[in-house]
Amino acid sequence: MGKPQRLTLKEAVGLINDGDFLTFSGFTIWRRPVAFCYEMVRQGKKDLHLFEVNGGTHTEILAGAGCVKLWESCWVGHELYGKLGEAVARGQVEGTIIVEDYSHAQCVARILAGAYGLPFMPTALSMGTDILNPKFDNFKKAGLRDGSDPKIPLKKYDIIHDSLYDKGEILLMPAVNADWAIIYASQVGDEGTVRMFAHSYVDAETIKAADKVIVIAEEMVPDSYLRQEPDRNIAAGHAIDYVVVQPWAAHPTGSQYFYDVDADFIRNFYQASKSKESYDKWAQEWIFGVADHEEYVEKLGVNRLTKLKANSVLGYSTSVKRGTR
Amino acid sequence: MAKNYATDYKGVDLLAVAAAREVNDGDVVFAGTGLPMLAILLAQVNHAPNAVCIYEAGTVDGRALDLPTSVGDSRCAWQASIAAGLTETFYGQLHCGYVDLGFLGGAEIDKYGNVNTTVVGDYSAPSKRFTGSGGNPDINSYAKRTVFIMVQEKRRFKEHVDYITSPGWRIPKWPSGEYVHRREVYGKFYQGGPSAVITNMGVFRFDDEGIMYLDTVHPGFTAEQVKDNCLFDLNISRCKGETERPTVEEIDLLYKRVDPEGIFLP
Repeated sequence: MGKPQRLTLKEAVGLINDGDFLTFSGFTIWRRPVAFCYEMVRQGKKDLHLFEVNGGTHTEILAGAGCVKLWESCWVGHELYGKLGEAVARGQVEGTIIVEDYSHAQCVARILAGAYGLPFMPTALSMGTDILNPKFDNFKKAGLRDGSDPKIPLKKYDIIHDSLYDKGEILLMPAVNADWAIIYASQVGDEGTVRMFAHSYVDAETIKAADKVIVIAEEMVPDSYLRQEPDRNIAAGHAIDYVVVQPWAAHPTGSQYFYDVDADFIRNFYQASKSKESYDKWAQEWIFGVADHEEYVEKLGVNRLTKLKANSVLGYSTSVKRGTR
Repeated sequence: MAKNYATDYKGVDLLAVAAAREVNDGDVVFAGTGLPMLAILLAQVNHAPNAVCIYEAGTVDGRALDLPTSVGDSRCAWQASIAAGLTETFYGQLHCGYVDLGFLGGAEIDKYGNVNTTVVGDYSAPSKRFTGSGGNPDINSYAKRTVFIMVQEKRRFKEHVDYITSPGWRIPKWPSGEYVHRREVYGKFYQGGPSAVITNMGVFRFDDEGIMYLDTVHPGFTAEQVKDNCLFDLNISRCKGETERPTVEEIDLLYKRVDPEGIFLP
């Protein structure tokens, strides 16, 4: 271990193999490593296994392009800007994506166990739901729980009786330890210390739970600056393997204190995501039609980006129009 | 002093106001994106200034200057007492037992308050997929009271939902799948359960058996009309009459203080 290695976005994405198991930073339409996902689509990654505490616009970008084979999560959509995850839904209905549903807090339990080196984490949340219906274990039905993939648990979950305080039955959620955590960070230090602005979601746990970590940072700053307030940092440099510095890497999702969610962009993408044909047309324009993220940002244009730019005190844009008034 | 009731309001306004009235001052409230946010924020500026709002992405008791568009929004973190993450909200707040009230939505509901937000049809070969559970079942399984805010349509109020995403009062006990009372599944972890469903037509509650009944009907509708908009045999015998209308002050707060930008309101 030691200092993380600096890479370009293309080099970092080049490390990902078809069939690899990935997790991402962020929350629904906030702080997603979208630039990395665009580049995975450009490089034609296939058969990816995703575990996501929750999905979002980036999930749909990958699923629409046919990059995803296995998806373990609890939710996908675009919040207010697109009510469904159309590409994942199409994949599940057509059978091209194997979906394994957990509840949101069960997903958190899974990543927590993975982060802390435990095989499982107990939880009493979401008992008595069809999430636990043995008939609906899609990975088992696909023959994936035979132990041949060490990253897939032998059971979707387990139920144990609490033998310590005799509180009754409680669930055990299996740890997740993905091959890769792909983390969009507000700031990274030159020695790899990571800071997230506003709220940290499950980013710290997601970093710890993965075998290898790629950080895509909005900006790089001196580590000595981040070390003045260590309580605001979520990961130490030795936990990070690779760093890419890529401004606007979360667009169209938001990044607190840098830029707001690009609502119009996501609304347009959501419309396009409703069929394979319209997705392909959209991808032709916004993914394959640009050589890299620099060209993408140039295509977005300075006026659009200026509107999204966050107020430095409030942390969000005060000029973007959000509602009908 | 007699209340000054509004005469001109929209269905969604009554929905938000009726939901806000479920908040008691001092309640710790876990709210999702959309109408739940309007309800808790209206309650805070109206009758429940000491209510605490938790958003599942990681913020506790934020005092947003501008309405958040999602629970992960930077606006949620403004002046929060804690801005952390999901481990804090789901385990440090919800699982440890602080949460009094959860505000949730759903695509389909049955008479026991079981809610589906996952698929249409057989889960193994669905005809349509919705967003999935999100935190809905987590909040619903551990808040002391849960209020669902939903659209009233016949196809959404079903005898049995296609998939139990979120647990109501009679739920399957795994691995057998036998339907039992919620207390039997949760045992010593039992905290409470669904207490009300609020739609554009009425307010529903649950009897001692955990079966939904019509509590009040919104102005402009009859109890029979509500019954006609359910696929199960809705109990309307306990209907107390009309839902209290929004006051002029509540409508004013809703449009001028809570959602002046028209994000969730028309």
